[in-house]
Amino acid sequence: MEERPCALLLKFPGTNCDAETARALEAVGFVTEVLPVSALKPEKLVGVSLVVFSGGFSYGDYVMSGRIASLVTEQKIGETLKDFRENGGYLLGICNGFQILTQLDLLPAGSLVENAGGRFQCQWVKMKNLAPKSPFLSHCPPEFELPIAHAEGRLVTRDATEAAGYVKSGAAALVYVDDVNGSFERIAGLQDETGRVFGLMPHPERFMKARDHYDPDWDGGEGGWGSGYYLFKSLFQAIKEGEAGEP
Amino acid sequence: MREIYEISDRFIEAGDANSLLYEPLAGGLTYRHTRRYELDYEGEKTAMEAFVRKTLLDEISQDLHAGEDAALKDYGFALEYGMKPGALDLEKEAILNYYRGISAPGFELKELRIRQRIYLFGGKGDDSGRFVRDICNAAIHQWKVLPGHV
Repeated sequence: MEERPCALLLKFPGTNCDAETARALEAVGFVTEVLPVSALKPEKLVGVSLVVFSGGFSYGDYVMSGRIASLVTEQKIGETLKDFRENGGYLLGICNGFQILTQLDLLPAGSLVENAGGRFQCQWVKMKNLAPKSPFLSHCPPEFELPIAHAEGRLVTRDATEAAGYVKSGAAALVYVDDVNGSFERIAGLQDETGRVFGLMPHPERFMKARDHYDPDWDGGEGGWGSGYYLFKSLFQAIKEGEAGEP
Repeated sequence: MREIYEISDRFIEAGDANSLLYEPLAGGLTYRHTRRYELDYEGEKTAMEAFVRKTLLDEISQDLHAGEDAALKDYGFALEYGMKPGALDLEKEAILNYYRGISAPGFELKELRIRQRIYLFGGKGDDSGRFVRDICNAAIHQWKVLPGHV
């Protein structure tokens, strides 16, 4: 029987998108496990291909979004996530998960701070795929839409030139077409230098089917799938191909 | 020993203070928000400061101000508020739980008090009562209004 790659979704107090993210991952072929952070140990990553930090408001966003979750993760498993990445593992952070990944220093240096408008924003956004070879975006079109829902999604770096460098180097894998929240260089998603760590503010798990789109006549192409499906599908294919290529 | 730290956001500009109120005020007040942490501790100050920087500060987007004086200047007045003693302060609990999990912190955290500060800029007259009424909840909060620093 064909073995399916396993995705481990970490759940913190306040994480609230883990169930729908697990459903999205299962729809493309992953086996999933949602793990409360209280049960997190280095051994839990054995046999796992993908670690996911889902959206929500971990620890009530106290101190700053993602901060306590990143500290607790580090306290529980230390450098294990970095070793996991070095050994070929994939990490995905969505919304609050993206904030956690930046705090864990698994992505290029940056912080997600309050939107420039000072408000929680819940809307659909259009993005440009700047990394069509990314394992997370290879099946996604050059431009696509996803919903956002965040108060702290404005990506800032130490200075503006650093963010411009991310666009140049390819670290900025996704950028908003419009200036949505004041993010430097309109960055919506970042990847690390290996390409196996990816974080984004929009929610791909909320646009798995064409019927999830705000326009009832939206035609996304074959199969009635939404843009989020293609992101997860890209990842599944990359992991399967990687496993097939292993000696 | 006691140390006070105030953390302000580097990239967030002063916002319209009417967004904090149920009914808008005339006068064009703006505001900035900071978080203030008061730590009673014993042990190494360097270890305590390292804890503060790692736990409470984002080096990329925030500034840390140490000491009792206000982190921001030229304000009309400021409202400082926090949870009453005995009221559940979830931010404090999250920080203390993390602290308790550190194997050798190098200092003993005896007490942690967390306060939010809203600095109001511009406007005429004393509108602090409106902000106290709309922001603070007498059932759970303690607060004080700080006079202007203009």
